[in-house]
Amino acid sequence: MTATWVRVLASYLHLLAVAVYVGGSVAMEFVLGPAQRFVPPAQAQVLGQRAADRFLVLVWGALALFPVSGMLLFFSLSDQHLVTRGELFSTGYGRTLVAMMALWAVLVVNGALITFVFRPRLARRATARGGGAAVAEQVESMQRAAQWVSRLTRVDLVLALVIVLFGASMAYGGGIL
Amino acid sequence: MTRTVLGYLFTIEWAVYVGGALFMELVWRPLQRHVPPGQTGAMCLAMGRRYRWLALACLALIAGTALAWSAVGGELAPGAGRRSTVPWSTVALGAAWVVLVGLVATMGLLVHPRSHARSHRGQDEGEVRRRRLRAIRLMDVLLRVELAVALMGALVAVWPVPSGPGKAL
Repeated sequence: MTATWVRVLASYLHLLAVAVYVGGSVAMEFVLGPAQRFVPPAQAQVLGQRAADRFLVLVWGALALFPVSGMLLFFSLSDQHLVTRGELFSTGYGRTLVAMMALWAVLVVNGALITFVFRPRLARRATARGGGAAVAEQVESMQRAAQWVSRLTRVDLVLALVIVLFGASMAYGGGIL
Repeated sequence: MTRTVLGYLFTIEWAVYVGGALFMELVWRPLQRHVPPGQTGAMCLAMGRRYRWLALACLALIAGTALAWSAVGGELAPGAGRRSTVPWSTVALGAAWVVLVGLVATMGLLVHPRSHARSHRGQDEGEVRRRRLRAIRLMDVLLRVELAVALMGALVAVWPVPSGPGKAL
């Protein structure tokens, strides 16, 4: 009975993490993004930054929840025997699990790049110090950062979809790889 | 392989639906405090339209996937209804789906247009504004009810049913 409850809780938390990550990214990209065209550009930029700030908190929460709920789910399903005795790379289940964890690590790295490298560049205020050339350089750096954030966000969404596919394959077919 | 694909689709559809509702509540709602009222209206109008179609598409796909699952599992085969009993979680999930479709349709087709209604010639501007505010308040309540039902639905969707697609997670 307890095992069932743990499994339900783990599954639910896992689904919520997927929902926040995938559903939130879809809403950010396809609902909020296009709607920003309906407000003045300066306001849209502030809005985008504030939305991204809030959404990043949820993203990090989801990224932290993935391994915790995943481990809980893994042990509640008593799947340990599928990856023990050196079978981590010799079974489809084991390989899929390793690939899933590797992709999760990529999501964490991309998240860190967005949070700690590109977003601070975007949030930096342009100053007139250094003359026109310096201002142009600052603007160019901000545009590059914005492009990188956009690219990485899309890559992350695709990776998250692949991770869910791996998860579904582990639940039904013993892994896809 | 078919079950993997159906389980995958079922998970993604619920995730996009629940994630969209969470995004609206946890990101967009607090954000509105930092936007001038006129621009909030314009944004709400544009986002509401897109969100309505996204939510309805997800709900339609959830129903389609569940039906496909039943067909694959044999629950929809002739005479299957007589020999098998439907688990409570399937009934609860179906009920949650009906409520969600009702809520999204009510918000999208009735309340959302009212919250952006403009006064026409001869209409009392004050009365139109009052109706608009009532619609906005109702929309707020319905969005929260939708989120609560969606979260409950997701919980039921992961309930262990021997042949259900929720087993994916």
